[in-house]
Amino acid sequence: MQAAVTATVTGSALGVGSELRNFQLRLGMWVFLGTVTMLFAAFSSAFMVRSAGTDWHAMPLPRILWWNTGLIMLSSVVLDYGRRCANQSRWGSAAAAVGGAGLLGLLFLLGQLDAWRQLAQAGISVPTGPFAASFYMMTGLHALHLMAALALLGWGAWRLWRGALDDEVAVRGVASLCATFWHFLGGLWLYLFAMMLLL
Amino acid sequence: MSDHPQSFWSKYIFSFDHKVIGIQYIVTGFVMAGIGALLSILIRLQIAWPGQPIEFLGKLFPEGMPGGYMMPEFYIALVTMHGTIMVFFFISYVLVSGFGNFLIPLQIGARDMAFPLLNMLSYWVGLVSALVMLGAFFVEGGAAASGWTAYPPLSALESAVPGSGMGQTLWLLSMALFIVSFTMGGLNYVATIFSMRAPGMSMMRMPLTVWSYFVAAILGLLAFPALTAGAVMLLFDRHLGTSFFLPAGLVVGGELVQAGGGSPLLWQHLFWFLGHPEVYVLLLPALGIAFDVLPAFTRKPVFGYRLSVYALIATGALGMIVWGHHMFVSGMSPFSGEYFSIATMLITIPMAIIGVNFLASLWGGRVIFKTPMLFALGVVAFFGTGGLGGLFLGNATADIQLHETYFVVGHFHFMIGGVTLMGTFTAIYFWFPKMFGRYMSEGLGRAHFWFTVAPFYTLFLGQHFLGLQGLTRRYYAWDSYQYVADALPTNVLLSVAAFVLVSGQVLFLGNFVWSIFRGRVAERNPWQATTLEWTTASPAPHGNFGEHIPVVHRWPYEYGIDAGGEDFADQSVAPDRAPVTA
Ligand code: HEM
Ligand SMILES: [Cu+2]
Repeated sequence: MQAAVTATVTGSALGVGSELRNFQLRLGMWVFLGTVTMLFAAFSSAFMVRSAGTDWHAMPLPRILWWNTGLIMLSSVVLDYGRRCANQSRWGSAAAAVGGAGLLGLLFLLGQLDAWRQLAQAGISVPTGPFAASFYMMTGLHALHLMAALALLGWGAWRLWRGALDDEVAVRGVASLCATFWHFLGGLWLYLFAMMLLL
Repeated sequence: MSDHPQSFWSKYIFSFDHKVIGIQYIVTGFVMAGIGALLSILIRLQIAWPGQPIEFLGKLFPEGMPGGYMMPEFYIALVTMHGTIMVFFFISYVLVSGFGNFLIPLQIGARDMAFPLLNMLSYWVGLVSALVMLGAFFVEGGAAASGWTAYPPLSALESAVPGSGMGQTLWLLSMALFIVSFTMGGLNYVATIFSMRAPGMSMMRMPLTVWSYFVAAILGLLAFPALTAGAVMLLFDRHLGTSFFLPAGLVVGGELVQAGGGSPLLWQHLFWFLGHPEVYVLLLPALGIAFDVLPAFTRKPVFGYRLSVYALIATGALGMIVWGHHMFVSGMSPFSGEYFSIATMLITIPMAIIGVNFLASLWGGRVIFKTPMLFALGVVAFFGTGGLGGLFLGNATADIQLHETYFVVGHFHFMIGGVTLMGTFTAIYFWFPKMFGRYMSEGLGRAHFWFTVAPFYTLFLGQHFLGLQGLTRRYYAWDSYQYVADALPTNVLLSVAAFVLVSGQVLFLGNFVWSIFRGRVAERNPWQATTLEWTTASPAPHGNFGEHIPVVHRWPYEYGIDAGGEDFADQSVAPDRAPVTA
C-alpha cells in the first residue's frame, strides 16, 4: 500500500508560486464551469418538459441571432490568437486580441438586446408563452454570465498589456483563464441556440 | 506570517483567515439553531394541545396566534421556516461551512484556503442570505408557508396563502444567495484539497473528515444549481406572469387561475435534484468526523479506511440519481418508481459498508468515554436507526403508505437532524481545544449528551410509530381526524420530550461560553490524536504551522503502535521514530 500511496500527487509536486496559482485558478474555473453546466442543464430539462405541454408554441427566432452566433465564434478565434501570442511573449498583440475579443463580445450582447427589441416589437413578451419565457430567461442568464466574462477579459487585457513588467507565468495563466471561460460561453450559446431552433 | 499588525476589524470581522471564517459560520449557525428551536417549540405546543389558547403567545404573535389560538397559515409557516433554517442555516453552516473551513487547511497541512478572499465573501453572502430568510418573518403576510420544499402552487401563486406573498419571494432570494455562498465555499474546498496538501499528504493519506468534505463539496456544487434554475423560474411565475409550474385549470379559493400548461412536478424534480444530494452534503461530514474521532478514543486505527473512502464516493455518486424517491406518490410511471426504488436500495450498500466499518472500528477497542466519544457513538447509533427507517421508505410499495406521515418526519430527523447534530457536537467538543485553547467541561458535556440523546430517541422514534398509525405531517388540526384520536397522549409525551431536548441545549450553551473564558487550558494535542492540526499550537496560530509546513510520513490512523512510550504517532512523525503501519 505504501508505494502506491506516495506515488499519487501531493501538494508540493504541483510546483510553487505562479505555477501553483495557475493550477488553482484553472481548477477553480473548471469547477465553476461545472456548476454553470448543471445550471443550464436544469434550464434545458425544464425547456424540454415544457415543450411537451399543450400551450407550447415554438416561434421563429429573429434572424439577427445568426449574426450574433457568428460574432461570438469569431471572438473566440480572436481570443485564442491572443492566448497564443501570450505564450510567445508578444504582449502587445496579446492584449489587443483579448481586448478585441471583448469588443466582439460586447457587440454580441448588443445584438442579443436587439433580438429582444425585435421580439418585443412583434408583441412577444415574457408572459406570451412558455417558449417566449424560456427564450428571454435563457438568453438573459447567458448574457449575465457573458458580462462576468467580459469583466474578466478587460482585466486580462490590462494584465497582458503590462505583460513584460509582470510575472510572465502568471499573465499567461490569466490569458488561458480568459480563453477557457470565453470558449465555454461560446459553446454554451451554440447549444442553447440549437436547442431553441430544434424544439 | 503571524507578526504583521492587524486591526480588530481585519482580524475578527473581515478576516481572510479560514479559522476565523469557520468560527464565524459556527456562531452564525448556532444563532440560527436557537431560532429554529424556538419555532419547533411553537409547533410542538400546537401538536400536543391542538386548539387550546396560550395567551401570552397571543400577545407575542397577534397575527399568527390571535388570542393565543394558532392560525393554520401561521402553523405551516412555522413548519416551513423551521425546516429551512435547520437544514440550510444551522447544520449546513456549522457542520459543512464552519468545520469545513476550520478543518480542511489544518488537516491537510496548508496555511489557508486556495482563495481566501472568495472564502470571506462566501461567509458574508451567507450571512445576508440568513438575514433575508429571517426578514421574511417581518414582512406582510409573514414568512413563506409552502414547506421547506416550496412546492407550487402554494409557492407560485401570491394569493394562495398569506405567506405566499413577500415571504415566499424572500425565501427564494435567500436560497439563491445561499447557493451563491455555498458555491464560493465549495470551489475553495475542492481547489484547496487538490492543490494545497502538505508534502507527503497523498489523497489516500487524507483523514476521512477531509474526504467527506471533498465529496460533499463536489456533490453540492453539482446539485445545487438545479434549485437556482428552479428559483429563477418560480420567480418568473410569481412576478412576470409565466407558467412554468402552474397547471392549466387550476382553481384557488374558488377562482380560476389565469395560467396554462405548466407542471408542478417539474418543480418537484428540480427541488429534489438539489434536495436529496443536500441531505448527503450534510450527512457525509458527520460520518467523516466520527471516523476521525472514534480511533482517538479506542486507541486503534479505523477499520477499512480505503473501503470507507470508496463508500463515501459511491454514496455521493449514487446520491445524485435517487431524488425520485421523494416523489413516489406523484403519479410517476411505475417504471420510474421501480428505477428510483432500485437506485435507492443500491445506495444502502455503501451506507451499510460505512456502518459496518464504524462497528468494526469499535470492535475490541478499549473505549474511553469522553464527551466527544459519546457524541461520536451517537453518530453511529443515529445512523443505524435512521437508515433502518430509510429502508422502508425506499420501497415504493411501502412508501405509498408511509409518505407524508410522521414516519418520514421521524426518519429524516434521525438522519439529517440527528446524525448531523451528533456530528456537530462531536466536532465542537473534539476541536474546541484547537479553536480556543481550552477544554470544555466534561461533566456538563456528559449531562448535555444524555439530555440530548434520551429525549431525541423518545421524540423521533415515537414519531415512527405515529406514522405507522397513519398520522399525517403538516396538519395543524390533526386531532379532527377520528382514526388518529388516540395519538393524543403520545403526542403530549413527544412534545414534553421536545421541550426537554431544547432546554437541554442550555447546558451546551453555558458550557461553550464558560469554557471559552474559563475552561481548563488545553495542551497542543489533548486527545493524543494523529492528524496534522494536533501538531500545531492550541489555539492554532495565524498561518497554522510555524515556520515550516509539516511533512507527512504516514496515514492518519497510526494508533495502537509502540512508539517510545506512546501508543500513537501523528502524521508528521518520521518512519525512523515510529513504525509505519499503512
Ligand atoms: C439508508 C438510506 C436512506 C434511504 C433508503 C432513504 C429513503 C428516503 C425516502 C424514500 C424518503 C421519502 C419519504 C417520503 O416522503 O415518502 C426519504 C425522506 C427523507 N430523507 Fe431519507 N433515506 C435514506 C437516508 C437519508 C439520509 C442519510 C438523510 C439525511 C442526512 C435523509 C434525509 C431525508 C429527508 C430530509 C427526507 C424528507 C424530506 C421531506 O419530505 O421533507 N435520508 N428518505
Ligand atoms: Cu432522498
